[in-house]
Amino acid sequence: MDKTNNLIALFHESTDTAEAIDELHTLGIDDEKMVVITGVPYPHGALGRQVEWLTLPYIVAVGALAGFLFGLFLAVITPHLYRLDIGGHPPVGFPPAAIIIFVFTMMATIVSTFLGVLWEMNFPRFGPAPYHKLVTAGHLAVLLEYPATLDSQVRQVLESHKAHHIGEPERMAL
Amino acid sequence: MSEVQPTQPEQDNHPDQMPEFEERLLLAERKDWEINEAVLQPMFKTGRGFWILVAILSAIVLWGFYAWGYLIYWGMGTAGINRPVYWGLFITTFVFWVGISHAGTMISAVLRLLKADWRRPITRGAEAMTAFALMMAGLYPLIHLGRVWKFYWMIPYPNNRFMWPNFQSPLMWDMVAIFTYLIGSSLYLYLALIPDMAMARDYTEGWRYKLYRVLALGWRGTEAEWHKLHRALGIFSVAIIPIFLSVHSIVSWDFAVTIQPRWHSTIFAPYFVIGAVYSGLSALASILIIVRRSMRLQEFLRSEHFDSLGKLVMVAGMAWVYFWFAGFIVEWYGNEPIVRELIHEEVSGPLAPFFYLQMGANIIPIILLVFKRVRTTPVLLLGTTLLVNVGMFTERALIVIGSLQRNDLPFNWGTYRPSWVEISIVAMTFAGFALLYTLFSRIIPFVPVWEIKEGRLRYTLRRIGRLLVPTAAEIE
Repeated sequence: MDKTNNLIALFHESTDTAEAIDELHTLGIDDEKMVVITGVPYPHGALGRQVEWLTLPYIVAVGALAGFLFGLFLAVITPHLYRLDIGGHPPVGFPPAAIIIFVFTMMATIVSTFLGVLWEMNFPRFGPAPYHKLVTAGHLAVLLEYPATLDSQVRQVLESHKAHHIGEPERMAL
Repeated sequence: MSEVQPTQPEQDNHPDQMPEFEERLLLAERKDWEINEAVLQPMFKTGRGFWILVAILSAIVLWGFYAWGYLIYWGMGTAGINRPVYWGLFITTFVFWVGISHAGTMISAVLRLLKADWRRPITRGAEAMTAFALMMAGLYPLIHLGRVWKFYWMIPYPNNRFMWPNFQSPLMWDMVAIFTYLIGSSLYLYLALIPDMAMARDYTEGWRYKLYRVLALGWRGTEAEWHKLHRALGIFSVAIIPIFLSVHSIVSWDFAVTIQPRWHSTIFAPYFVIGAVYSGLSALASILIIVRRSMRLQEFLRSEHFDSLGKLVMVAGMAWVYFWFAGFIVEWYGNEPIVRELIHEEVSGPLAPFFYLQMGANIIPIILLVFKRVRTTPVLLLGTTLLVNVGMFTERALIVIGSLQRNDLPFNWGTYRPSWVEISIVAMTFAGFALLYTLFSRIIPFVPVWEIKEGRLRYTLRRIGRLLVPTAAEIE
């Protein structure tokens, strides 16, 4: 297996970053080998990267369905197990059941969205990870993994697009 | 069209408009680290005034807990509630707090979906308000139980008592709806907070660093993280709106599904919801003005934001008047004896001072908010929005307490006077809310920094004629 290098480079602004990424692509470095870290969410496509496919909507849909079924169980099944006749109403009435089912569906939707996004982001993750604190101060960081044979070309591309702090990424405890 | 380069505005030509544009320019020209520091620095400054405020609020909260303990020990008889007014100041304040909680979702979720850019600096303040107001509201069902340790009987689990919650009861709907809204709004607040926790983590040390590190969950700001966060916030925004509508509807059904005159109304749900929005937005404006001054956040919370918020309050107020009138005219025209008596009590009887306070405090602000000067002058807007909440609290009191004084059995008519226990507990929740908010503002970045920076990405300045106008690009 070829030896690979890891590198971090910081940029002052997004146009330089996007152009550098384009040139790194032409050098044969795949998107999966690059991580862009920013302090601001850039719009899709701004940095010339693929948009990742998410499973979050499916997690949410499954969560909502589970909440619906749980609400249905509470509002429609359990009143028959613990029968309580009040106000001349049947043990299970549509309006109260609709409220309970709705609320539990929404509660499960919300909770599954939260847990789903944490799961997708692999959070919490407190171990050391490549990072640079200047990202918070407005710099854009590009983390690269590339064959060692491309080292000089990669550095040349980065420097030509005004990258700074080019070097081995520091793994910081996050 | 020829491209116009952004330049400094000509101050002498448009003196009235320039300050606003200058403020925007100032933020546009700020570096990211300057914005971070502008938000973080006020959090670290806790002078003597801050601690005096915390001490006063804590003392009120402790007194309220004493009163609650007294109520638990001696029983519900120590509260002023009695036949026929079995829901008094506790439930009035419960409804008020649930109403206040409606601003957060309105600002964060609805305006996020509508892509209203002015929401950005005020979302966190609004979301925090929702969470804290719901915490205060959630205390009242517990307090009102009297025997608070029996609360777990409302949780559905198989037990040897063969008892099960009654899901046909509006009070059960209440519990699950408020619990859902509290969970939803707290998670919504926290999710949008994660990137700012990471920012604060990078700037701090000591206990703050430890706290922010845990709350940041290991956030770095990779493209994938931003993408997932955006998607999750989008889902939250859609999902929380029906919850927001359902919560106050369900609270209104606590009243409307009874056959108590003046409560048994089909319009109660939308009337309560719009009243909640009116009251919540007003409370938000009041709080933002106070926080803006105390934390010197004038650069972020600018007159344009208060202008927009003021317009929203005005529209909600007009809608409240419409719903109030739609309910009132039907009751007045029906002329049923008990309802007629209740209307008489309000309009020209012993409740008249409260009725006119309610109407005045809710309608006068609408008229005042027509004027831009009121919307954009902090002290005027503060007075106006505080007035709205005086009116809304009075409205809740008239609905809960006023209506219960008369019913279909004239021998069972009565009046209500709150006891010191009730007043102390109500004061506890107001102080508790203020205390939580005060502490929150010094621990959590009050302005959502990443949202501000994201909004800044969208803006450029364009010259149109003699004006230099901020122009937003559609990039979300």
